[in-house]
Amino acid sequence: MFKLNLKIALRTLWKNKSYTLINAGGLAIGLASCMILLLYVAHEWGYDKQFSGYEKTYVVYNNSKNNAETLSWAWTPTLMAGEVREKIAGVKYASHSTYPNPHLISYKQNNFKAPAVFADQAFLKILDYEILSGNAEQALTGVNTVILTETLAEKLFGQEDPINKVVKFNNEEVLKVSAVIADVPVNSSIQFEYLLPWALFEKINPWVKNSGWGNNSCLTLLQLQDEGQLSAVSAQMRDIYKRNIPDATNEVVLQPLAKWHLYDHFENGKSVGGRIDQLKIFFLLAFCILLIACVNFMNLSTARSEKRAREVGVRKAVGSSRAALMNQFLQESFLLAFIGMLTAFMLMEIALPFFNSLLNTSLKINYTDWRFWVALVGLTLATGFIAGIYPAFYLSSFEPVKVLKGFGHSGAATLSIRKALVVFQFVFAACLIVCTAVIYQQLQYIKDKPIGFNKNGLIEIPMEGNLRSKEKMALLKTQLLESGAVTGVTYFSRSLNEGGNNTFSVSWPGKNPNDQVLFNFRSAGASFSKTIGAEMIAGEEFSEAHHNDSTHMILNEAAVARMGLKHPVGATFSWGGSPVTVIGVIKDFVVESPYQAPAPMILYHIEDEFEYMIARMNPEGNVSSSVNKIDEIVKAINPNYPVERKFADDNFEQKFQNEQLLGTIANLFGGFAIFISSLGLLGLALFMAEQRKKEISIRKVLGASTMNILTLLNKDFIKLVAIANVIAFPLAYIISSNWLSAYEYRIQISLLPFGIAVLLSLIIAVLTVSLQSFKVAKANPIDALKYE
Amino acid sequence: MIRIENLEKVYKTEEIETTALNGINLQVKEGEFVSIMGPSGCGKSTLLNVMGLLDKPESGSYKFMDTELLKLNDRERSNFRKANMGFVFQNFNLIDELTVFENIELPLIYNKVPAATRKAMVNEIIQRMNIVNRSGHFPQQLSGGQQQRVAVARALVTKPKLVLADEPTGNLDSSHGNEVMELLCELNEQGTTIVMVTHSSHDAGFSNRIINLKDGHVISEKINKGITEELI
Repeated sequence: MFKLNLKIALRTLWKNKSYTLINAGGLAIGLASCMILLLYVAHEWGYDKQFSGYEKTYVVYNNSKNNAETLSWAWTPTLMAGEVREKIAGVKYASHSTYPNPHLISYKQNNFKAPAVFADQAFLKILDYEILSGNAEQALTGVNTVILTETLAEKLFGQEDPINKVVKFNNEEVLKVSAVIADVPVNSSIQFEYLLPWALFEKINPWVKNSGWGNNSCLTLLQLQDEGQLSAVSAQMRDIYKRNIPDATNEVVLQPLAKWHLYDHFENGKSVGGRIDQLKIFFLLAFCILLIACVNFMNLSTARSEKRAREVGVRKAVGSSRAALMNQFLQESFLLAFIGMLTAFMLMEIALPFFNSLLNTSLKINYTDWRFWVALVGLTLATGFIAGIYPAFYLSSFEPVKVLKGFGHSGAATLSIRKALVVFQFVFAACLIVCTAVIYQQLQYIKDKPIGFNKNGLIEIPMEGNLRSKEKMALLKTQLLESGAVTGVTYFSRSLNEGGNNTFSVSWPGKNPNDQVLFNFRSAGASFSKTIGAEMIAGEEFSEAHHNDSTHMILNEAAVARMGLKHPVGATFSWGGSPVTVIGVIKDFVVESPYQAPAPMILYHIEDEFEYMIARMNPEGNVSSSVNKIDEIVKAINPNYPVERKFADDNFEQKFQNEQLLGTIANLFGGFAIFISSLGLLGLALFMAEQRKKEISIRKVLGASTMNILTLLNKDFIKLVAIANVIAFPLAYIISSNWLSAYEYRIQISLLPFGIAVLLSLIIAVLTVSLQSFKVAKANPIDALKYE
Repeated sequence: MIRIENLEKVYKTEEIETTALNGINLQVKEGEFVSIMGPSGCGKSTLLNVMGLLDKPESGSYKFMDTELLKLNDRERSNFRKANMGFVFQNFNLIDELTVFENIELPLIYNKVPAATRKAMVNEIIQRMNIVNRSGHFPQQLSGGQQQRVAVARALVTKPKLVLADEPTGNLDSSHGNEVMELLCELNEQGTTIVMVTHSSHDAGFSNRIINLKDGHVISEKINKGITEELI
């Protein structure tokens, strides 16, 4: 029986090639889209879960409270890990480490700046990276040792065996390679290329040893003996600050390592989501696209039911049960889902490289992973089932007497279901169009929003190696200006796009003592605002005359507003207990998130703190030749370091990554969803045109023009698409305003996205339907009338 | 009014070629009622379709009041057809989804007749055809004879110069068939030119002239006078 059914199924599919193509094609695109999205979701979901003890591992978060809000971050005192080890029961390991930071590492002529982490031995116990060679057991207990990742070891040593060889760190320290570990997984939060002992960190930065409980400068990880200890350990950890500093307001929460990446957004000291929200959208999108493809199948199968009715009648007449018939129709849809899956495979393998380069990811199908195969088989079966169950029910319900006599006009009920299904598809499509348009509008709005300085043609060069000395710094400045490649040079204590460096310890006359306000602080060079293209609103900016001046400050507008200064220039306030004077006010410029109003900022002028040189490229010069000149000059002065010159606007672009990703995915998969929907529409139009062939011919005989016929056939579909838009709009409005509400700076939702949705969906519908009906409208009318 | 010369039409399928019309010459004068008869497959329906511009012949000439129609493009054919011709089919070919009134109104819509005029014209023909009480019904609710009356009404509502009828009584019993034939005669007396394809010599007897076709040739022509009365 199965063989017979298969034979019938294959023959039916073969006989109706265009339907099979539309169905299998739609399912294939749907499945491929779904699988790629799921791969991405799995990739994100798998973050930090590679370590064997990840379920017992927690990241220590520090909630620092002030009146306005609670700020949460995973920055903790260096003393914490030791105290936890000693005093808190139930903790198996506690480690402290730095966050990854690029440092220079060299072996003979090979120099690389690569992200490094300083950590203690417990770090490796908690995060059990795969050790490829050497002995990692004691590697981090010493001072002058290093653990390399495979890739870095290859870059440094090529084919040589790196173990026990000696590398140089920052051109100062000599380190012995004690182990090589596998590369850090791509979806791991802590991305480094080599590991260094904590003792080395203390050696290089003597202040670390003496830093107390007020200095939150490292990452603390805990691993519990077992998961059941969580509540007990959390309770002991909560007040660890208060036990050490009597008037501390900080509290500790433990964030599971597995949630570190996805639940990164904290409100009032509690994790309230973050990337997971976006991930949920993608997850939903994956299944919606698949569902749309399934709907195509349902639609076309029921539409074609009249043709199958006779077969059903005959089968029932010769004794087939309804169950057997349903079985047969389900087998057909499973077969089609299977064909779709095979095609989807090819599509995926072809599309993944494009997808990866577009989204900056490195997804790949892991054929050895059993979960992949389970997902694959599961999806295929689910698709076959969802797509086939309704047609199976419907087709098997025919009564033999009726269908054998001729079908008559009982199709009205299924017609309305088919219409509802088309409406459903286009609701989804229109929603996606609106949301995509809103995402792009918002992105464009933020990108176009003035950021308070001119980021184009601005380059940043880190002051490292030789450039740490004042003479070389001055030499670089002179040479750059003389070369004509740049027109202005200044310095800054951080990159223009970096956050961090902030303090609560600012007070001013009239400040509410309970009011905790966070101020960013930066050391800025002479002619700072002139060079970066910012605007001084009042007073003057730093010049060469303010040599190592720690008493004169420039405030940004936000700081002036926060302090409520009516006449800022000449006003005094206190910072860290010392009085300082305001000499100028600079217009707010964005260093952190472009989605939020700039935080209050204090600028001062201390040369020792300059970390970056910022140079304005000569607008009249050729960019690439200027860049080459700059690189040459930097290399000549600082030969031991690779040139790390960066464009400020490139760095700035990275702030939009999340939104860009969302926009791209919405656009891409929205496009697929719409394409699949139009495939369904095409199939339905194909069917409708065939069904109405006779009517169309009569109308043509009576004088209808091709245009008349096209209008007639399109009218119904246009109506459906219009209804779909009407349903979609409130939905899309809610979704997009919900999404926008997370942004402080956001667009007002305009009519434009809705206009685009209407226009686009109508054009798509009309084109799709006309593609088919044009043929019928042009056909010789007598052909259809002749063979009644 | 109609002058057809050397008309040829060949149907091709993958395996065989069938010559449907093989050099047909034919004239129809204004006000004539012509029957075309012949065995199945002799090409009579094809001839009618060509005359109605529903099908294109391979070669030959077809002049309608001195206009060569075979040179027209699709749009011109369609325009000419809706302005000058009416059709009655064996199987009525009414649109099931439209009421009697709407079916009759349809050609007027395509001829861009204003709504008010349309209504008057449809009402007039409905009265003439004696189907007033059926105007709101759908085709399936009518008997075959009534359906054919509607079809005739639809063919006449545009006041065409030429009515082409393809076995108009083929699907009707004899009494309903006679009704339709009388209708056509009445029409012809009022001046409409009619060309009818039929199997039935009874029906052909209503016409002025009978043309016999075989294998795509005209094999005989016969003028009818007074035969109608004799047969009845």
